[in-house]
Amino acid sequence: MTFSVLLQSLVSGVLVGGVYALIGIGLTIIFGVMRVINFGHGDIMMVGMYMTYFLFTLAGVDPFVSILATMPLMFLFGAILQKIFINRILGSLPQNQILLTIGLGLIMSNSAMLAFTSDYKILTTSYSSSSFNLAGISISQPLLISFLITCFITAALYWFLMMTDTGQAIRATAQDREAAQLMGINVKWMSILSFGIGAAMAGTAGALISPTYYIFPQVGSAFTLKAFVITVLGGMGSIVGATIGGVIIGVVESVAAVAISSDWKDVVVFTIFLLVLLIKPSGLMGKSHM
Amino acid sequence: MKSFNNRLASIRGAGTVKIVGVIAVAAILFAFPRFVESPYALHMMILFFLSTLMGSSWNIIGGYTGQYSVGHAAYFGTGAYTTMILLTFKDIPPWYGVWAGVAAAVVVALVIGTICFRLRGPYFVLASIAVAEIIRVTALNLTDLTKGAEGILLTDIPPFMIGDTILTDFSSKVPYYYISLVLALLMILVTWLVQNSKLGYYFQAIREDQDAAHSLGINLTIWKNAALVISAVFTSLAGSFYAIFVKFIDPTTVLPLDLSVQIVLISIIGGIGTIFGPVVGALVLVPLSEMLRSNIIAQGLINSGLVSAESATGIFLKEHLAHAHVLIYGILVVIVILFMPEGVLGFFRTIVARKRKGAA
Repeated sequence: MTFSVLLQSLVSGVLVGGVYALIGIGLTIIFGVMRVINFGHGDIMMVGMYMTYFLFTLAGVDPFVSILATMPLMFLFGAILQKIFINRILGSLPQNQILLTIGLGLIMSNSAMLAFTSDYKILTTSYSSSSFNLAGISISQPLLISFLITCFITAALYWFLMMTDTGQAIRATAQDREAAQLMGINVKWMSILSFGIGAAMAGTAGALISPTYYIFPQVGSAFTLKAFVITVLGGMGSIVGATIGGVIIGVVESVAAVAISSDWKDVVVFTIFLLVLLIKPSGLMGKSHM
Repeated sequence: MKSFNNRLASIRGAGTVKIVGVIAVAAILFAFPRFVESPYALHMMILFFLSTLMGSSWNIIGGYTGQYSVGHAAYFGTGAYTTMILLTFKDIPPWYGVWAGVAAAVVVALVIGTICFRLRGPYFVLASIAVAEIIRVTALNLTDLTKGAEGILLTDIPPFMIGDTILTDFSSKVPYYYISLVLALLMILVTWLVQNSKLGYYFQAIREDQDAAHSLGINLTIWKNAALVISAVFTSLAGSFYAIFVKFIDPTTVLPLDLSVQIVLISIIGGIGTIFGPVVGALVLVPLSEMLRSNIIAQGLINSGLVSAESATGIFLKEHLAHAHVLIYGILVVIVILFMPEGVLGFFRTIVARKRKGAA
């Protein structure tokens, strides 16, 4: 492997990692505030992908512009899921929470199959396969755009969580639900809000990768697993951790694909995941919740 | 004291009724193929027995020991692949290959157990998924051994012989019926034995509070692994049976995450930690998903006149409803978690108990 090949895979890894980070951030916010591991996260992303696909094919909206519609719609979708289903099981056994989100994920993916068949759909834009050269490294244009958008969204989310009162209330709920409630924070509302944000992040990630990825009903489960790896690596509940974790996994995948073979990259990722679980289950940035 | 004796008598009485009931049902099931020859009915019964076997094996580790493994496809696939590889490449007949599959599944279980049982709660769930996925991707890529995504297709099965007498040549569904029935009954017996032995008490103590169990001198590593091995042995048998029954396996049918989830749901929907929970789960799930798969529901809607066969909806339903049989798993698990936390069996038990209370 020459240096330029390595550099190339590093660059594309970072670009893809940005989108992974977005998926991970969604999962980690949901976990941080509610201590619920959302096994339907990838399926929520899949809903976002289909939304983008149909906005593009039926209304001709560019996938990157469609985020403006996808994000609020997915926020609403997440908030409704939280209000109807997740809120009822916040106090119950973690296993039951996992099973409920698995069930919701199955409903989403199979409903999508029912509605849109299991055919692979491809969203082809004029720039889907275009790329430009930068010092001998080719940079895919859609990946670069989606990376920049991811950076912007992540920064905006930080700002929201750090600087606004609502953001502070969400962080307080994540730190200590009961204490937050005693301080007069409406924790139920915060839960709805954070599940909405989590779903919006997942949906946006779906919109961002749809120009470069196949769209099909079962696409979610692979991304659910990826999101787990990212959040555990970064530390469950840590947004900074999920951001770093996303980029690391993106780079690991892309380097493993070149160094070993793209068939085995998932094995590499899951092995790293197991090692992190065994050696440092609290992840890179998080406190252990075990 | 007297009331205590009475209660004891009534428990024993219920036990006798139950045992007689199980034996009666087993006898009817053994006689079933003599009266029903429809291959479709037999097929459904075989699926029911197989689901019972899968659900009950998971029940040992998930229901009794409280370790929610969502990676049981690993053992199912290990059994299926070992049996199939030995049969197709080495001509070793399945009734030997099955035991090699069991041995392989035990090894896999001990490796997974050693890695994952250090973790608890959601972390254990995630680790069990990760290991199963590693095995799936490995099976997909070791094309020399497993033929990868192409899968292994079985053309014919050697007749089952003891000495020179041919017991069966697997030409109909009947031998499969009896094999799956015996496996399912054996699993129920094992569950009963576990529940009524010291082993079962260890498992349940670990489920209720593993730190307390540990402080009472229960070795968590040993007993969690024991539960996992029992569970893996029977899941592997289910996998081997499936492979021989369907005569085709590939990583997306015997090793996917979806299969692991379905195995868990059989038990969850019926009711975990009970002997008959998974049986009820299979009884609910198999007919429902089979009805969707075989288009009975779509056809029924059309026949009832609700939907016209020529209309867009009718055509759509006929074409697509069959592909979405897993949807029923999703809907049921959401209903069960939200409204029947004890499973379908527990839910009806509570209703019966309430009625009795009302009558008394």
